[in-house]
Amino acid sequence: MTARRAPAFARSESDRVVAGVCGGLAETLGVDATLVRLVFALLALAGGAGVLLYLAFWTYGNRGRPWVAGMIAAVAAGVLLVALGLSTGSVFGLTLLVAGILIIVVRGGTMRPGGSLPVPAVALLLAGAVVFLSTHGRVTPLVAPGALAGALVLIVGPWIWQLAADRTARIRLEERANVAARVHDSVLQTLALVQRHAADPARVTALARRQERDLRRWLYGGGLEHPDGTLVDALGDAAGEIEELHGARIELAASGDVPLADEVEQLVLAAREAMTNAAKFSHADEIAVFAEIDAERIAVYIRDRGVGFEPDAVPADRHGLTDSIHGRMRRAGGNAVVTSAPGAGTEVELTLPRRPS
Amino acid sequence: MSVRVVLVDDHELFRAGVRSELGEIVDVVGEAGSVAEAVPLVLRLDPDVVLLDVHLPDGGGEAVIAGVAAERPGVKFLALSVSDAAEDVISVIRAGARGYVTKTISRTELTDAIARVAEGDAVFSPRLAGFVLDAFRAGEPVGADPEIEQLTPREREVLQLIARGYRYKEIAARLHLSVKTVEAHVSSVLRKLQLSSRHELTRWAHERRLI
Repeated sequence: MTARRAPAFARSESDRVVAGVCGGLAETLGVDATLVRLVFALLALAGGAGVLLYLAFWTYGNRGRPWVAGMIAAVAAGVLLVALGLSTGSVFGLTLLVAGILIIVVRGGTMRPGGSLPVPAVALLLAGAVVFLSTHGRVTPLVAPGALAGALVLIVGPWIWQLAADRTARIRLEERANVAARVHDSVLQTLALVQRHAADPARVTALARRQERDLRRWLYGGGLEHPDGTLVDALGDAAGEIEELHGARIELAASGDVPLADEVEQLVLAAREAMTNAAKFSHADEIAVFAEIDAERIAVYIRDRGVGFEPDAVPADRHGLTDSIHGRMRRAGGNAVVTSAPGAGTEVELTLPRRPS
Repeated sequence: MSVRVVLVDDHELFRAGVRSELGEIVDVVGEAGSVAEAVPLVLRLDPDVVLLDVHLPDGGGEAVIAGVAAERPGVKFLALSVSDAAEDVISVIRAGARGYVTKTISRTELTDAIARVAEGDAVFSPRLAGFVLDAFRAGEPVGADPEIEQLTPREREVLQLIARGYRYKEIAARLHLSVKTVEAHVSSVLRKLQLSSRHELTRWAHERRLI
């Protein structure tokens, strides 16, 4: 709210008959005190308006409540107008209008959102307008509802505006909080871990890569439209965990993507097992994973250039390859092909036909 | 004679890292941190290869290519990025970069990629191969020239193998081709990517993820 500087008026200590109001006013206006007193006396004859005005200045001069002074002055003006022969109704209306204006002038207030709304002043102005118009005979049935609607707009409008502004601000705050939470949960934690494991380059590399993948997915991933995640997201998660556990580097490429569904999750689990095998047994330091999704099928390739093995020589009870990869893919309605030879690396090809949706 | 390289990246730390990694093998003749710095520098130095960050503070890597290509057609650009956003990568390639690798690439692979680009070949990382397959996915060609609007089955096969992590030599062995032929297929894909009008790339980028 803007603080208005009060006009330089004070009751006179030296030149006083009753309370020094007239003397003070004369000093302020730079006129003779007698002249002021004469005006007040004449006004007092007009239904006591002069007395009321004197009271108003006195109140004001006491630096107490300028708006009370304003009200009294408004009443004084009303009394004067009645004494001059205006109808009581229109005087009452005018008084209300003037009082409303005075309140705004004296107390300040603003219609802008976020500012303090001078509700009493607005109410007075509207009431004054209604009374004034209705006593002037030019009243139509629209005046009262119109005034009411105007009042509502004036009073509620800024409030709604304010709410909308608050909402935008709140959304921005929430976004900020999300970013902060993300940075705290992932980036800062990772940095702390990196400092603790500074002597272990493999672990630091794995941490950094996992963090990179996480942030990248957050920035560019399809996360929002697919709250349960997508195939590529899930492969990225699996790759990150395996990098962290076994220290191999996993390079993930993709063409297309699908939302996660039951059988797609089985595919992810099989791919995860294949990545784990590559990371644990191949001795390769890099594993390439490629997911290719087209209208007919989903294919995931897991490839390393490691030591390789003889696929036929794997005993049937080797749980990982037999059950976790072949069995899982079969149960999901897909297929797994493992191509490997000693010294030539390994490639696991997982395919899943797409169900017509 | 070693390859003359200019590094354009707004992260000084990253430039220092690359410089110290590559210093012995290639000749790093200059560095720039923005489009405004890079364009006059490249014009003046006329290097063999510019290692170009996809994202720069005052414009993308494509702004550097646009500012240089007309006057220095011999300069080759290799895009380098941590960005995963396919549309960014594809737009730098379309602007004229001969390849794209991620910043996590190992030193030997990066050296290899620079040498390859310097000789005029294309360098596709597995990730870029995935993006490109996506961009050329089935769909009716709308351009006038179907030659450049679609990949041949062979080109598709080569790209799939690149995405699966195969090197050119391994692809050649697997498809019973010469390495030169594999390189020719990749260069042809690059040319199609740069010339094709079919890919309304922004739209593609939005629709690309899910089929």
